[in-house]
Amino acid sequence: MDNISGEFALVISGHSLAHALEADMEAELLMTACACKAVICCRVTPMQKALVVELIKKHKKAVTLAIGDGANDVSMIKSAHIGVGISGQEGIQAVLASDYSFAQFRFLQRLLLVHGRWSYLRMCRFLCYFFYKNFAFTMVHFWFGFFCGFSAQTVYDQYFITLYNILYTSLPVLAMGIFDQDVPDRRSLEYPKLYEPGQLNLLFNKREFFICISQGIYTSLVLFFVPYAVLSNASQDTAEPLADYQTFAVTTATALVIVVSVQIALDTGYWTIINHVFVWGSLGLFFSIMLAMHSQTLFSSSPNQFHFVGSAQSTLLQPVVWLTIALATVICIVPVLAFRFLKLDLKPQLSDTVRYTQLVRQKKRKAVCFSGGAGVRGAAGSTSEGRLGARGGSRRSGYAFAHQEGFGELITSGKNMRLSSLALASFASRHSSSWIDTLRKKKHSHTPTPPGAASGDSSPAPSCVSGSAAPPLSNSPSVLGGSQDAAIEEEEARTPPPSPLQAKPGSSTSHARPPSTTLLAASESTQGPSTGGGPGDTAPSAQGESGGWTLSLGAVQEALSNWRSLGVRSSSPGPPSL
Amino acid sequence: MGKEAAKTGPLAHRPDNSAFMQQRLPAWSPMLTTSTVLPFMYCMAVLCLVVGVSLLITVQGTQEMKLDYTEAGTCNNCFQFLKNVSNAGKSCGCQVVFTLEHEFKGDVFFYYGLQNFHQNLRKYMDSRDDAQMVGRMQNLKNPSSYCEPYIWDEKDVPIAPCGAVANSMFNDSFALQYQVQPGGPINTVPLYRKGIAWYTDENVKFRNPPRNKSQTLAQVFEGTASPPYWQKPVYLLDPLDATNNGFINEDLIVWMREAAFPNFKKLYGVLVRTQEPFTNGLPAGNYSIDIVYNFPVQYFKGRKQVVLSTVTWFGGQNRFLPIAYLVTSGLVFIIAIFLTVIWWKFGKDAKNMNE
Repeated sequence: MDNISGEFALVISGHSLAHALEADMEAELLMTACACKAVICCRVTPMQKALVVELIKKHKKAVTLAIGDGANDVSMIKSAHIGVGISGQEGIQAVLASDYSFAQFRFLQRLLLVHGRWSYLRMCRFLCYFFYKNFAFTMVHFWFGFFCGFSAQTVYDQYFITLYNILYTSLPVLAMGIFDQDVPDRRSLEYPKLYEPGQLNLLFNKREFFICISQGIYTSLVLFFVPYAVLSNASQDTAEPLADYQTFAVTTATALVIVVSVQIALDTGYWTIINHVFVWGSLGLFFSIMLAMHSQTLFSSSPNQFHFVGSAQSTLLQPVVWLTIALATVICIVPVLAFRFLKLDLKPQLSDTVRYTQLVRQKKRKAVCFSGGAGVRGAAGSTSEGRLGARGGSRRSGYAFAHQEGFGELITSGKNMRLSSLALASFASRHSSSWIDTLRKKKHSHTPTPPGAASGDSSPAPSCVSGSAAPPLSNSPSVLGGSQDAAIEEEEARTPPPSPLQAKPGSSTSHARPPSTTLLAASESTQGPSTGGGPGDTAPSAQGESGGWTLSLGAVQEALSNWRSLGVRSSSPGPPSL
Repeated sequence: MGKEAAKTGPLAHRPDNSAFMQQRLPAWSPMLTTSTVLPFMYCMAVLCLVVGVSLLITVQGTQEMKLDYTEAGTCNNCFQFLKNVSNAGKSCGCQVVFTLEHEFKGDVFFYYGLQNFHQNLRKYMDSRDDAQMVGRMQNLKNPSSYCEPYIWDEKDVPIAPCGAVANSMFNDSFALQYQVQPGGPINTVPLYRKGIAWYTDENVKFRNPPRNKSQTLAQVFEGTASPPYWQKPVYLLDPLDATNNGFINEDLIVWMREAAFPNFKKLYGVLVRTQEPFTNGLPAGNYSIDIVYNFPVQYFKGRKQVVLSTVTWFGGQNRFLPIAYLVTSGLVFIIAIFLTVIWWKFGKDAKNMNE
């Protein structure tokens, strides 16, 4: 099934689906459906919607998204991985059950391509950085263990340990996790292929995790051994040895905060004012809190708690200490820079390329100094237009069918069709009168002439059609652009030729004629005028024997185009007299 | 609810169209391009080179002399003597000799060093009471429980200063002597034994308990006992200088500042340069040190040493940092060359082609 060429779509009704979702058939259904480009399940119950979603979830390793607007979509929305509700005409039931909701269907594109993508990117960058900074922070204690007799002595001041993750490094990464954008939103919409890394789990997987961790371990190695090697033999300019514990603690803590701040600066791809404030502010906060904690005031309040008195001032005034910190920073950051540059140069991802072109464009815009709008739009990728380029063709997939009450009964009443079986006849007679009255009333509001006597000897509906399952193709006005009467015409135009059981070719073909003549045909079926012959003869409608119609899309298409052309040609495109 | 009721109509639930809410904040989107990264790398390499070279030149101007005296000279006798545990409290005198080839110009500092002494063990570092050392009376008589087991002595008298850090204080003393010629007169090298601790330590962190004008320091410390390993009580630590006794004794302060690593050195004294022949530093010649060898190190396989050193703005003789800078500069330069080559060969127009 994987190497099916051509584009197919599957239209399946609720009745068929009920059979197809049985345990022995569902694998078959899944295989068929996944080989098609689009699947339309019409007239399905809410339960069936949820079952279809669950079928996909169970057997395919895919993330499912369900979008709907009515209360009947709630179970489907709940069973999918991501449920999207559309708030509006049908009330807010779907919205209440969904994970995301918006007002128009078209917002789904933005949800996925812009916000979903950014969310994935931010999450992955956040996670990677979080593991890195905590490994860099904690592994220093592991290396120190070799020198302190494994007595679990901490390298840093206890207050630094408490405040490191809360104050000194949390805000910058929070800002990155909220505001980061690798590519502006317009480019995200232009290049849908940017969505691929999210689907393929490229940005945070086992490999990326291990890279993060090893970078953290490398940083911790540098952060411990460089101060160790320098300070164990160094002294201040007053000859005080710098090898004491508190100097070492302050030096290592300062180096750590500076290195992880430089790292977040490298990681952040989108510097808003908030990012600037958080990054530089966190550094400033670190120094001010440290100086405050090591001050004499706090020491005099509780000497045992704040025994680091004087360390920060004494340590940070020594040039040796700053040279050590600078060296540690260079050794930590230069390899990272080199790796990233190499990756960008040799294996740029699509997002890197898009970013680069954006950068180039911005520079050009600044250089040339005219409004860049024209340039940007002109050079915009044509992917979005490409998708619409096939507008001229007749083949299309993904229809939406909304049903208006009453059509099913019309079809299944057999009123305008030839009755083939007794059952259908009885059914028809049972339902016809009341329904016809209703229809008459409805018609009256639209046209002067009521449908009149839909003669009982119209061609039968296929025997397979049952009333409730009549799947009608009812048309939303948007599809055909006609009034409901026109729709009716179309319905009758499409009343199918007789099933193989009946052999009435003559009148049957007449019913496949375009509507403007067909209504006449419908009411005077026996007369069967074949006027205005259109190319609609060839429109067969495949009827399944087992309940439910399955009209080929091609037939629908052609009938549509025929009707349209005729509608244009005829002088009175309005509803003909019935 | 009231807020929602105020906005009605189809646009009632629209989010703000502000730049913040719609993620349109003006921002800078940097990118690692060739024109930023490669020059940066080269600059970094050059900078590291400059710093390394200048530091190396500075360090060349310092001088240092290290002498391990654990078993050297006559101190070997003391070493053997202290092997017997019952001799632990007794002092032993010995002498070591050394020669300075070149003069040590400028200020010279005398350190003692220890090897394999872990002042950075967790329980050891916690075993002190800073409130007591700052002179608070209630802590003087009631030391903190962290000082376990050096809080009360066997007579249930509180120990001042309490804790393992104070208890293990280094108590060797040194007297440096200079002999111009062999057989000639011997000059005692004057060492100033104050000003060897941090300013904040001397003035803020360590204070004697308050005393009236009539009290002597011994009276202030009445009712306390000295730590078990000490030979002298805390108020008699410095027999020569009365102001250098009690908690503010500089040797005690220096010792209480724990070292971060097992091999460390601590400042003992500063050369006094007021008299000949030491006005310019330590002249070249033969020196000997008379040591009162108290501190036993064989139990933890430690070593003891003395260090003489001069300092610059960069501190003492610290060769690691300049060499590390030079090595880093070399490595960064190699990386920069490597990146340039790769970029030249492979990456030059790839990005534009991708588009």
